[in-house]
Amino acid sequence: MASTSNEAPAVPPSLSLPPSQFARLQPHAYLLAHLSPPAATNQPSIRANGREPLQFRTTSANCGSLTHTNGSAVVRIGDTAAVCGVRAELLHTDDIASWSVARTSSASTNKRQRLAELGEDVTEEDNEDEDDQDRAHIEDLSLLVPNLSLSTGCAPGYLPGAPPSTTAQSISHEILSLLHSSRLVKADDLRIWYQPPNLGPEDEQMDVDEGAGKKAETEEQKPREIKAYWVLYIDIMIISLAGNPFDAAWASVVAALRDTKLPNAWWDVDNETVLCSDDVSEAHKLTLRGLPVASSFCVFEADAAAGWRAKPIPNAQQQKKDGKGRWILADPDGYEDNLAHERVSIVVDKEKNGKTVILKMEKVGGWTIDTEDLRRLVDVSSKRWDEMKQIFDQC
Amino acid sequence: MLELPTIQDTMNDRRRINGPAEGTRPPVYASHLKSGGATDRAQRQREPTDLRKIFLKTGLIPSASGSSYLEFAPSSSLANARSNPKSLIPPSSALKLSCTVHGPKPLPRSAAFSPNLVLTTHVKYAPFAARKRKGHIRDASERDLGVHLETALRGAIIAERWPKSGIDLTITILEAEDDRWWADAPDLHDASWGMMNVLAGCITAASAAIADAHIDCLDLVSGGVAALVSDDSTEDSAAAPRLMLDADPAEHRSIMAACVVAYMPARDEITELWLKGESSKIALEKGDQRSAHEALIDGAVDAARGAHSVLSEAVRETMLRAVTPL
Amino acid sequence: MSSQRQASSAAQIPHLSPAELSYLYTSLSLPNSPIRPDGRSPTQFRPLSAETNILPGTNGSARIGFADGTQAIVGVKAEVEKTVLVSDTLDVQHEAQGTGNGEGGEGSSSAVTGGHGSWVQMSIEIPGFRDDDALPVFLSEMMRESLVGSVGVKDKSGEENMAGGLKGRLVINKRWHWRLYIDVLLLSQPLSYPLPLLSLTTHLALLSTKLPKLKSKGEEDPFFDDDWAVAEYIYPRVLGVSNTLQVRPPVTLLVISVGENVIFDPTREEIAVADAVLAISVTRDNEAGSLQPLKLLSIRTIDPPSRLTQPGIPNSENVNMLGAPAPNENVAVLNPATGEEEVPGVWRPRRGGVKRSVIAGMVKTVLKKGGVGEEVLAGLEGVEVS
Repeated sequence: MASTSNEAPAVPPSLSLPPSQFARLQPHAYLLAHLSPPAATNQPSIRANGREPLQFRTTSANCGSLTHTNGSAVVRIGDTAAVCGVRAELLHTDDIASWSVARTSSASTNKRQRLAELGEDVTEEDNEDEDDQDRAHIEDLSLLVPNLSLSTGCAPGYLPGAPPSTTAQSISHEILSLLHSSRLVKADDLRIWYQPPNLGPEDEQMDVDEGAGKKAETEEQKPREIKAYWVLYIDIMIISLAGNPFDAAWASVVAALRDTKLPNAWWDVDNETVLCSDDVSEAHKLTLRGLPVASSFCVFEADAAAGWRAKPIPNAQQQKKDGKGRWILADPDGYEDNLAHERVSIVVDKEKNGKTVILKMEKVGGWTIDTEDLRRLVDVSSKRWDEMKQIFDQC
Repeated sequence: MLELPTIQDTMNDRRRINGPAEGTRPPVYASHLKSGGATDRAQRQREPTDLRKIFLKTGLIPSASGSSYLEFAPSSSLANARSNPKSLIPPSSALKLSCTVHGPKPLPRSAAFSPNLVLTTHVKYAPFAARKRKGHIRDASERDLGVHLETALRGAIIAERWPKSGIDLTITILEAEDDRWWADAPDLHDASWGMMNVLAGCITAASAAIADAHIDCLDLVSGGVAALVSDDSTEDSAAAPRLMLDADPAEHRSIMAACVVAYMPARDEITELWLKGESSKIALEKGDQRSAHEALIDGAVDAARGAHSVLSEAVRETMLRAVTPL
Repeated sequence: MSSQRQASSAAQIPHLSPAELSYLYTSLSLPNSPIRPDGRSPTQFRPLSAETNILPGTNGSARIGFADGTQAIVGVKAEVEKTVLVSDTLDVQHEAQGTGNGEGGEGSSSAVTGGHGSWVQMSIEIPGFRDDDALPVFLSEMMRESLVGSVGVKDKSGEENMAGGLKGRLVINKRWHWRLYIDVLLLSQPLSYPLPLLSLTTHLALLSTKLPKLKSKGEEDPFFDDDWAVAEYIYPRVLGVSNTLQVRPPVTLLVISVGENVIFDPTREEIAVADAVLAISVTRDNEAGSLQPLKLLSIRTIDPPSRLTQPGIPNSENVNMLGAPAPNENVAVLNPATGEEEVPGVWRPRRGGVKRSVIAGMVKTVLKKGGVGEEVLAGLEGVEVS
């Protein structure tokens, strides 16, 4: 808009827009301009939000602040905030229609349980077996019930009161399958056992190892029964959404589960129900298997359509090697999330000896990421794991 | 855009992950069964006119045009239980909620013409907010709260400055207030008293979020609760119920009546009034000519004035932030 | 979303022009003698016809028709239900019927003597509204709240009538109670805010509700006399002083204030110009030593739809009138009721809230001896409840 006033303007009117408006009008160009600084300046690429490409946002976690939960956590990753509350309720085995059928499998657990109690070595193989059974139990009875809600007014796109959006549904299911596949929660923590009183002599229990076989035949001690299960309702409210809800949601789930305390519970014969003790000292924390940490990345391309247009371009490989025209951004914020089509999500854990274990790796949309990139991202994720471990340990 | 019908039973909800089809039961605590097993009743340590501290902060949610987070300081019993945990059963709870405002934005094409700003309010409890697990779909009490809140705010907003536009106000309650002390059986005067405290918090937080969204209002409207409580164990004792401001229902044996107002101090006006219960037996000081309900309303207004000072401080911070960007 | 909006505020705003609104407001706010469009006095109700026990399949029912043709039918059904107890039998089944009426925090504990508010269930059906829309939900919560909120009274002879109010009346014994379903049906699209109609009809229906006579004793499983003739009224017929019924279901009255006037049973047009709208629930107070004949149960503000109306434009701001000589009276004055500058005769949507003194005045008009509340209750007693 050149000035048409009669008097010559003292200062020529500027054609440039303030950065905030430019960012809104031309988001792609804006981000690109940040990531590819003029070669002359010799600056490193920097994202519009001031982070380096593989830098995560500042993360904080806070546990146990919600009164009516068994465990809770608030995790903030930059401006994305997730609140997770774990509520434990009881599922009586009497209520489960198919329970008597499933029981046969529980007997074997029973056996091993006793073996373990006797201090016998539980072999690696056995452990594996138990893990599988854990998973089956937790999955079949749906003892873990994660639900994520985005209809909290966290972003303008998600209507409050509407049924869960596809994003919310898919994250809920991702969390569920990750809980199952990572076998984070031990099924044994969720079982409530009952030892029916043995009417025979009391010492039965003690001397199983001497002549166990014989006794088992004649007067088997009544097997322990599972009377109930704890069901963990894991509800995640995304209070504020600025990109990358999955990392925040998953971190809040892990933190809340680490915080979860289950009351001591027993089967009360007289009342035919499960009773709990409200004594904090009797309550037990969940023993989690490991500490899976999720890291998400997105790929920003200078020209997303280039690949489609191209006939086999001779210098495509070349271009890739340069790393030009394509940036992998860690922990994308809302602005970057909208501009990217290719996403990678990696969940890793570290064993005691420092070995990184990949629990989940997912790549959707686009084709620019190759194995080498993935290897690099796993390294980045395992560094992120160290960061997150510190944060978790503090809360 | 339509909400699902209010089916409490979420078993059929295929868009969520459902628990075991057999249904689950909340844990029953053994100490709950023994009569008198619960020893330390929560007791109010504050003076009748003392309010709980309110933590209110605006602008925490950048994707919204306005937002606020509100928290009541835990009452003494809860604070004790937190610092020195003995029982898994919390003696009381303290309100925590977050509020966002989206808009003003143009009304959808399908909407009828409106010469004024259209306010939509939405209040939802998180499933873990209350002692009893809440469903994912709004129930009657949550809808009721939304209507109350809408009434309270609409009186304060200068709506004709935004014709043909609407704002969506959403409140997520992360922790609600109890209706009574957990071990008490509901008595004659039982009602959802906690809801009134929640509403007062919602009003104050919503007002801050609206100010944060730069929507013109006549005044900052704040919420306050006053209640008529009787702490005597004997129901028909001569001691008359007393007026308490900002009563935490878990700290009183019986609440006879309660009143919540949305109040604008600058105009000395009430935009929302909700009073219920048996107010006739109140004991006022001699010479006090007010009738019981008037005393209750006045009490609630005093509580709202208290909340207003917190509110205006929070809004002042908002303004400072706007003037001096980081 | 948009279909839901405004549903709560005294429903549909009539399509009145700013000039009409202004005219209506002026005539209704005339000091001391408001002129209502239908010529009623401020406290006068619209004529209505009422009958009870119209539905043979219910425990109690009533129909009320207003002269404008709107009708409401209320049916009350009672069912016996097992009381969920923790302290006694430890039967912690989740609520047997799964009927969540949204009463928060009912938990697993429950009362023996007190009864529980969630035992009274109310559903309101209004044509043109979904049953989870704001208006029906708000109305049913409002009416249920006063129903379950009213507690028993000791009358002057010291004898207790309906200890524990309606909730207490529903207790059969420690293990059983009645569950009351109150179904309210509005037969046509509401022409005005339907609260008074629905509340009066519910009142009559409850008054005519009978529960079969209990034959079992104490803590036995209950069984009942099948002779309907000996069934007992849920609200016992005890005549008090001056031959009025002692215990009555509550009545919710819709009261508006316009200027300095307090007006009852407003029509839709009248609500559209109201400064404040209150729903006030009252019941008879028979307590010894009470000065007032009525007891206040609840007050709720209702969003006055006048806030959503279209403003008029004063001549001074009207572009079409530019240059026209400004008449003398076209000067802004301070409205005493709203404290805002206004040009008389030019409609401004209401802003802000209500002064406490106005609320006090409205409540007083309802509660005072010989006031409107008493009049309404007396009038309802005139309806033959057979």
